[in-house]
Amino acid sequence: MTLQVKNADIAGDFATNVEQLSGSRLLSCLQCKKCSAGCPVAGRADIKAHELVRLTQLGQADEVLSSRMIWECTSCQTCATRCPQQVSVAALVDTLRVLSRQQQKTSEQTTLPVFNDFFLKSALKHGRVYEVGLMAAYKLRTLRLTEDMEKLPMMLTKRKLRLFPTNVPGAAERKRLWKRVQAAGGKRP
Amino acid sequence: MSYLFYPGCSLHGTAWDFNESTRQVIKALDLQMPEIKDWICCGATPAHQTDPLLSLALPAKNLVAAKDSTVAVCCAACYSRLKTANHHIANEPETRKQVADVVGTDYDGRTEVRHLLEILVKEVGLAKISAAVKNPLLGLKVVCYYGCLLARPPQVTNFDDPENPMLMDRLLRAAGAEVIDFPLKTECCGAGYGITDVKLVKRLSGQILAMAKETGADCVVTACPLCQMNLDLRQSAIEKDNETNYGLPVFFFTQLLGMALGVSKSALGLKALVVSPNELFAARGMGA
Repeated sequence: MTLQVKNADIAGDFATNVEQLSGSRLLSCLQCKKCSAGCPVAGRADIKAHELVRLTQLGQADEVLSSRMIWECTSCQTCATRCPQQVSVAALVDTLRVLSRQQQKTSEQTTLPVFNDFFLKSALKHGRVYEVGLMAAYKLRTLRLTEDMEKLPMMLTKRKLRLFPTNVPGAAERKRLWKRVQAAGGKRP
Repeated sequence: MSYLFYPGCSLHGTAWDFNESTRQVIKALDLQMPEIKDWICCGATPAHQTDPLLSLALPAKNLVAAKDSTVAVCCAACYSRLKTANHHIANEPETRKQVADVVGTDYDGRTEVRHLLEILVKEVGLAKISAAVKNPLLGLKVVCYYGCLLARPPQVTNFDDPENPMLMDRLLRAAGAEVIDFPLKTECCGAGYGITDVKLVKRLSGQILAMAKETGADCVVTACPLCQMNLDLRQSAIEKDNETNYGLPVFFFTQLLGMALGVSKSALGLKALVVSPNELFAARGMGA
């Protein structure tokens, strides 16, 4: 890809911030492209793994935070395992996901944040994820009402879906935990 | 040997057959593995994609509840989250403090976490397992599919060779199966994208099924509820897309090991499999 880089962005502190938040030593990257060579989603990515690192180094916040790639990465950890410089693109992507949502730059082509929010809400409320409730909430919000519905009778006969949630004691404490986490502000500990 | 078991949400839901076959295997091998009392969700992928502190606090809460016992895990994603929490909490004093602040208990990150494959191969040992095999899986050709999170990243999980793990291969061999070398054993199946981006899952899982077929295997053996679901539940849609027929049953390793240990098929949750293994069992003389 062709990069168009503004000097003002390079001079900013985006790269240093992301390095600190992700704990990944981005400035050590050699651009050897081993991460992208092993990346399962490189074939469809708008910005490939090694490009994500380079753009971050160059302070291109808008470009990386609004990319589809950060919501298509499967967190398979192949990049982090194979990098000769111990850079973790997987950790970088997690940090970019958090920043992308904080700064409201998330690509409109993904519904993953919606799914994540319902998942965590279910996990914190019941203590364990209630799959049927999660799916219903997600499908209603995203209007994906028909997708996979033909599998429903089969999944019920195979006992793959529980009709009622399990409620683990401690809901109030989990709610307080979530409030304390939010108060800490999404920072990497 | 005694352990505390952390099943995770999938084993109490979609992957109930992984749970039931696990209980059968540990019973057959005389292991003790009660569940951690009031265990909660580890946060899985949504937590680490949303908030780094939450993604460490939820596993830490479970590990605190396990106290000094070794925690046994079957789900590769739970395993990865518990191990990742331990890695950060044990090595970063500031992280340990922040997690303690939100969880309300100081935790040192040193509760041992093991995948059931590690327990069976490294701790129980293949000699004991071979001796307990009553119905060896003779003539059954399998490929072992590990997925991403058991062996990667190695500095966090310390599971096995990250590019060519062998624990499941060795276990299935001890159970009498013919284990075929599988080049895609740690490639990604598409993970949790089954709901939000099914095209991605069909493409990645399709490559794994095509390669498994290519090797001449009868079936695929997995150690992760999400991998199993993607390869099994989505197989017919992938066949349709690729205009081909794989017809590969996708087992949990505990189901095949359970059969080898003499557990009845009905107790191993085989009915939950979408691609039925019945024809394969009949062809290999593994009936009744």
